[in-house]
Amino acid sequence: MELAWYALLGLFFASYFVLGGLDYGVGLLLARGGTPAARRDALTALGPFFLGNEVWLVAAVGILFGAFPTLEGELLSGYYPAVVGALAGVILVTAGVQLRSRPATAGARAGWDRVVVVGSLLAALGWGALLGGLLQGLPLTADGHVTGVGHLFTPFVAAAGLAMAALVALHGATFLTLRLPPAAGAATARLARRLVPVALAAVGTATVVGLLSDRVRAAAQQPVAAVLLPSALVAALLVARAALARRRPGWAFAATCAALALPVLLVGAARWPYALVSGTDPAAGLTVADAAASTPTLRLLGWLVLPLVPALLGFQAMCWWVFRGRIDGRAPVYW
Amino acid sequence: MDTLLLARLQFATTTSIHFLFVVVTLGLVTLLVGLQTAWFLTGNPKWERLTRFWGQLYVINYVLGIASGIVMEFQFGLNWSGLSRYVGNVFGAPLAIETLVAFFLESTFLGMWIFGWHRLRRGVHLALLCGVALTAYASAFWIMVANAWLQHPVGYQVRDGIAHLTDFSALLTNPTLGMAFGHVVAASLLTGGMLMAAVSAGHLLRRTPDFLLFRTSLRIGLVVSALSISLVQGFGFAQFGPVGQVQPAKFGGGPERDAQIAEWTAQFGPGDYTPPTLASVGLGFMILIGFGLGCLWLLLPLLWRDLIIRWRFPLWLLLLALPLPFGTVILGWLAREVGRQPWVAYGLLPTERAVSAVPAGVMLASLIGFSLLLGALAVTNWVLLARAAARGAADPALGRPPAPEADDTPRQPVLA
Repeated sequence: MELAWYALLGLFFASYFVLGGLDYGVGLLLARGGTPAARRDALTALGPFFLGNEVWLVAAVGILFGAFPTLEGELLSGYYPAVVGALAGVILVTAGVQLRSRPATAGARAGWDRVVVVGSLLAALGWGALLGGLLQGLPLTADGHVTGVGHLFTPFVAAAGLAMAALVALHGATFLTLRLPPAAGAATARLARRLVPVALAAVGTATVVGLLSDRVRAAAQQPVAAVLLPSALVAALLVARAALARRRPGWAFAATCAALALPVLLVGAARWPYALVSGTDPAAGLTVADAAASTPTLRLLGWLVLPLVPALLGFQAMCWWVFRGRIDGRAPVYW
Repeated sequence: MDTLLLARLQFATTTSIHFLFVVVTLGLVTLLVGLQTAWFLTGNPKWERLTRFWGQLYVINYVLGIASGIVMEFQFGLNWSGLSRYVGNVFGAPLAIETLVAFFLESTFLGMWIFGWHRLRRGVHLALLCGVALTAYASAFWIMVANAWLQHPVGYQVRDGIAHLTDFSALLTNPTLGMAFGHVVAASLLTGGMLMAAVSAGHLLRRTPDFLLFRTSLRIGLVVSALSISLVQGFGFAQFGPVGQVQPAKFGGGPERDAQIAEWTAQFGPGDYTPPTLASVGLGFMILIGFGLGCLWLLLPLLWRDLIIRWRFPLWLLLLALPLPFGTVILGWLAREVGRQPWVAYGLLPTERAVSAVPAGVMLASLIGFSLLLGALAVTNWVLLARAAARGAADPALGRPPAPEADDTPRQPVLA
């Protein structure tokens, strides 16, 4: 039963990185400047999906709290700076995107757009750093607590943060290629093609730094997964490049979606059976089974929540279906 | 400064900001369902314009509700890891249900509602708003289930120092839940109604063009807030009995309190088990303002022949009274939450055992950072709300028909 809940947790976090990654990717690309109309078009492309994308994070943390309470406490407090940075970024993006068009002056809107850019960068770096931090383990003491935050400041964590930022920028560009009117979409397709090598370099750097780090090597419980999944990530980026070159943005988008979901799978699989790996005392690590809530809680949540998961997915799918296709002059504009 | 105090301050700040926005969300969405249903049934464009105007204010207000809500959800793990460690098996369940069953759908529906004007069939569009409202109420319910459990832990058994769930139905029949949920919902309707009445009063005082529109919303707002204040009072006083029984130390002295404190001293060692006076002071002021707001009923007869508008001074009263419901919800919240100290889960987990082992410096930085961030966003949000309210119902951005031609017409005036 713990495995099923761990998989569901992974599904929600992976969906958050894929869908929230769109928000932060489009947000990062606002840094390119461009005309006010072009920036607004980018946000209109995101439009109806934005709130539904962000809410995956809330739901993922809800599952974390309900089904893995011990993990929730130690994970969030153990990686305090990364989580706080990501959280501040999420807040800035959430507020910035929704409020930027409420003032009518161009200056105020440009100011809010800068808030969105900073927020997107913080969110991408923070979540990347958290995933990197999970892969390198943390100094869990025998009583299961983490003291201090210094363990997070390593080259690998920095490289992981940057890799996530590069991935979401590419993801945002392929999404806009699909959603913007054809002329503007062609421009973002060119941008996406230029971003693929950047993302490849960032992911490659993080992988190499990780392989060179003793802590990361020691923390990997399943070496096969730890090698295969980064390779799959690189392969997804190569598929995205090939698809962009052949003007198949749909395939490129599918590939960047996979590229954002794979890090979650990597973090889950490479450390199995541990939910938190201790770098100081291997026996102090927190296994998934120990991190899970007790059986009555999981059973209750299973009866109440699992039947609703198809409905949740169905309503999200409905949103994507209703607002499918490229935006045009008829698209509702609000952000 | 120690980590515990800093963590408590941070939670108090975040929760207070969150509460100021969610009461408006819950109140306004209920009124919006009424407005949009009237539009759906009658087809009268007046109701569409009202829905768009109040919907715009609702959506602006919603932004900070989400932003502060996300910070709060994370704070449980960031600053209170002991809470999830010791009681997470029980306390986490209602929170998980809230995020998945309620809030997840609420946000998904709201995104479709905002962008669904002129694109979805009117019935579907209305159904989406009803979905937003229902899930908002479900959200409030499950949050209150979680909070009621902290006020009065039930349905659990402690094994190896950790609470395990034994009886979920006890969480739903918690004596600190039912009346409190009614109280919070009524307070939300009061706040939403008073906001509607005050904004309308402002427009009527300034004699802006849409007289008939704001006359309607003034009447709706006033009637709803008068009905709600009586509900607020009823649900409020109904709580004294059950809460006094399960939390003897909350409302001051008496033999029950002394017996309870003696029991805790025997069980947990000597300590200060009386809640800070702030709680009872807050309660006193809240009751005072609550009685004062009962005067809303006196304004109802003035709806006859629009006396309320022609005399003008009742409009000023409504406008100036707007801060009162916001003040009372904060005071009420303080009475409930501060009155529970020094426990995070009453009589089960002392607050000091729940705080994370985070260095005080990090906690201070997080407190200052998030307070400034949320504070600045809250003020900005209110300024934007006030401006959108003052701009009037001429052409709110929400529900604006799409531009007729995408490329030929100058875009800026259309979208501004």
